[in-house]
Amino acid sequence: MVLPALLFFVAFGVIPLLGVLGLSFTTWDGIGAIHPSGLTSWRETLKDPALPHALWVTFLIMALSWAFQTPMSLLLGVFLAGRQKYRAALAVVYFVPLLLSSAAIAITYKALLDPNFGLSSGLGIGFLAQDWLGRGRLAIGVLIFIVSWQYIPFHSLIYQAGVRQIPTSMYEAAQLDGAGRIRQFFSITLPQLKYTIITSSTLMVVGSLTFFDLIWVLTAGGPADATRVLAVQMYIKGFQGNQMGPASAIAVILVLVGLGLALLLRRIGGDARESQMEGA
Amino acid sequence: MDPMTTSRRTFLKFAVGVPLTGAALAACGSSGPSQAGGTGGTSGSGGTYWYLSGPPGEKIRTDTVNRFNKANPDTKIKATTFQNDAYKAKIKTAIGAGQAPTIIWGWGGGGLRSYVQAGQVEDLTSWFADNPDVKDRLFPSSFGAATVDGKIYAMPAETVQPIVLYYNKKLFDQVGVQPPQTYGDIMDLVPKFNAQGIAPFSLGGQSRWTNMMWLEFFFLRLGGSELFQKVMTQKGAWSDPQSLKGLQMAQDLVKANGFVKGFSSITADSNADQALLFRGKAAMMLHGSWSYGIQVSQGGKFVPEGNLGWMNFPPIDGGTGDPADTVGNPGQYLSISSKASAAEKETAKKFFKTAVLSPEENKEWIDTGQVPISKGTESQLNASKDKDFLNFVYGIASKAKNFGQSWDQALPPAAAETLLDNISKLFQLNITPQQFADNLNKVTGQ
Amino acid sequence: MATTLTPDTDEATAPHRVHTGGPRNLRQWNWPGGLAGWLWFGIVIIPIYWIVITSFKTSANYFDANPLKPPTDLTFENYKLVIQEHFIRYFVNSLVVTLGAVVPAVLASFMAAYAIVRGRGRFLWSCNALFLAGLAIPLQATIIPIYLIIIRLKLYDTLLAIILPSIAFAIPLSVLVLSNFIRDVPNELFESMRVDGANEWKTLWNLAFPLSRPALVTVTIYNGLIIWNGFLLPLVLTQSPERRTLPLALAAFQGQYTVNVPAVLASVVLTTLPILTLYVVGRRQLLSGLTAGFGK
Repeated sequence: MVLPALLFFVAFGVIPLLGVLGLSFTTWDGIGAIHPSGLTSWRETLKDPALPHALWVTFLIMALSWAFQTPMSLLLGVFLAGRQKYRAALAVVYFVPLLLSSAAIAITYKALLDPNFGLSSGLGIGFLAQDWLGRGRLAIGVLIFIVSWQYIPFHSLIYQAGVRQIPTSMYEAAQLDGAGRIRQFFSITLPQLKYTIITSSTLMVVGSLTFFDLIWVLTAGGPADATRVLAVQMYIKGFQGNQMGPASAIAVILVLVGLGLALLLRRIGGDARESQMEGA
Repeated sequence: MDPMTTSRRTFLKFAVGVPLTGAALAACGSSGPSQAGGTGGTSGSGGTYWYLSGPPGEKIRTDTVNRFNKANPDTKIKATTFQNDAYKAKIKTAIGAGQAPTIIWGWGGGGLRSYVQAGQVEDLTSWFADNPDVKDRLFPSSFGAATVDGKIYAMPAETVQPIVLYYNKKLFDQVGVQPPQTYGDIMDLVPKFNAQGIAPFSLGGQSRWTNMMWLEFFFLRLGGSELFQKVMTQKGAWSDPQSLKGLQMAQDLVKANGFVKGFSSITADSNADQALLFRGKAAMMLHGSWSYGIQVSQGGKFVPEGNLGWMNFPPIDGGTGDPADTVGNPGQYLSISSKASAAEKETAKKFFKTAVLSPEENKEWIDTGQVPISKGTESQLNASKDKDFLNFVYGIASKAKNFGQSWDQALPPAAAETLLDNISKLFQLNITPQQFADNLNKVTGQ
Repeated sequence: MATTLTPDTDEATAPHRVHTGGPRNLRQWNWPGGLAGWLWFGIVIIPIYWIVITSFKTSANYFDANPLKPPTDLTFENYKLVIQEHFIRYFVNSLVVTLGAVVPAVLASFMAAYAIVRGRGRFLWSCNALFLAGLAIPLQATIIPIYLIIIRLKLYDTLLAIILPSIAFAIPLSVLVLSNFIRDVPNELFESMRVDGANEWKTLWNLAFPLSRPALVTVTIYNGLIIWNGFLLPLVLTQSPERRTLPLALAAFQGQYTVNVPAVLASVVLTTLPILTLYVVGRRQLLSGLTAGFGK
């Protein structure tokens, strides 16, 4: 039963990956002949100070976007699971960012963030005319905001579904026991959402590793190298710098990091088979 | 008990079924011949030609191909267009996989060199020797970027694009100052404009090559084309006192608020930087000659009312560079893939000889406000509505003894990337000129 | 505080269910959620508003003083331009590619997830590990080998060239999400199917499939969106305009030196409208699919 998935994945996922692994042991400019060169590309990559920097930026963006998106999605998910009147209309609007392609979003925000012709002049708010994409820290913050703008709708959908699955009887029982709203949130809602949180977090974290389109169109890794995550560094090295060997090495590193993270999340999620419905 | 063993065979049957459904769906959608393998083209001996899409050039290039195909119905050239960034990615993967088109559009310089080193493009030196009429009708300065190790590997084409210093005449009148004659004048103008709330220079710093234009002119005016070329070819040249001076001047201008506030967030490709000039928010701007056409189409009445001024970059006091020298794109370049068939190569050469930069094509370029690299177009230029600007560009291109090719095109791609990177940091005041020099010395002049 | 339960008239609910949906009082008085909700609404709507009004501006007026003001001379030229540029064809291509990739990917991942959760043995365990490892494979890294494989298979410049790798890259995450979900199905239910004499295949389709609707819907949407908006695969693996997908159309308005922003935005609007319509129409199914919990 697992065969079709396996077939596809091996053909178009694993074999290319092995190809990349092989390429990392060569020197190739992408145009001419491929020269096997042992560990040269690896040595060059590991010595390059751009690598630890890229690793740092990648983790920073991953952690910060998780930290921003998860609480927001949780709040919004709970809100949407409720009964406010305009909920349906709001839900439609919320969903639109998800439907836009990353390139479109990047173009939009680049225009809106322009200090002279963007939002600041539009709304007349001088404070908004910062060097948003020109200063390192600001650019990272902006990037995280935009990523969240794009993906919070999706994760709040997941949380909304998760919240709806919590039996009201649990809350009623807690209420009878005298627990207040906040206590209910922390003692019932959150624990019941454990698997939802893990699923959503896995999607977020792993997704952010291979994040490319948005960053590339928005800042191309800039200013200087402030937003140069691993994937961008790899693209620049390979497709712009014509150094396929080191770029492939970076790709392999990306995969190893991703594997580590996935295993870690798996551990936290547990292999347990008990249903969450116990005690309801 | 293993719940899996029982129906494995059935599952295997379905394993094939699922992807086939997908394939069937797809097959319905991909109508028409699918070109797979080969040398990127299956149009007999005509060959294929890939080039950039989008205004202003796409229509002109397509017209040229159409003219050729009409005159040569047996060896038609099949054209495919790509957007700029997409083209850069695609051409590399295509060449690398042996799928290159017959005619490769490019920027010459370092990129061309990498093709040559990989043996992917034809040596055209003898062809040009056999066809002197082709060579003679083009600007001599355009051949520099087509030449690698003394041999010519590309046909120069399209237009010449020097970097021009534009200024807003209306703002100058308003503040009551004259256009600068020397760089010293520029530094004097900076505080005057800032005091009036006008940005002295517009700059699309996020695009990096825009910052590079400044450095190129500093180097060109300080130390002439010797310095300009030296930093690309000679090891350690970036640490020369003149080089360091040029780098320092860039930082001085940034610190003096010479550039519009927030310039590092502004990109050139959305024309936000040019809008600053024609909307009266910035007084001057250093940009490529193609900006003229954009200002005409997007600036409303700005250009027709005569508010746009232009000049070559002024000399720097104490510099040894020739004030007539210039830098930019000396042309665009068409190469022939070495992997194409003999017939396709012949077609391509015929295309170069008869269709590229024909008088009809020249006129089309002139109509978009650009100067083709063909000699003897003076009368056509004078007949154009943009004759002042066009004559200016033509003058610079023909009188300049040295037309430097932009560093990011002239350098090999890996070094170019390091250069742009460091330029960005330099203008952000994140690194010192000395650090810049050290970083660049490691990758140039090898 | 009232604890009478009013039926949820908005959504389809299964009868005889445990009343779900979170605590009553949390719903009635959720002011932090409410505040966040309205604030977020503002944040979401402004860029969208900008996209829409700018798509009606001419590229000459584009830099007019206030970007947030509606255009003084509304123009449809951008939309005309987009449609002239073979928009319909790109749209159809995108549709074919998305459907052609998502359906097999989800089905195959579902089967694999079921096998991994319900099965035993080293083979399955190593498959699982393999899929996990595949989570982090970056598309940009493997694009060149994929390109070479596609060329060898003589599939270059076909829609199939986009579909096959898309399926492969959708699998790891889908398997992960689906297997997490299937794990939650109580064992007793499987037992009762077995007692009834159903084989694995039947159990898969008659029990696990309906119960996994929320996860299936999630995975379908997620992959669908990624593939619909995918840019790199169509870029590298297709060439002729007949095979282009919508995201490439966006690139068509980026000229050599300049970007025709209003036209780009018009194509964005046109690309988004179909999915948006789908969402508005299908929202109920979507939510009921997502919220169908376990009957108890």
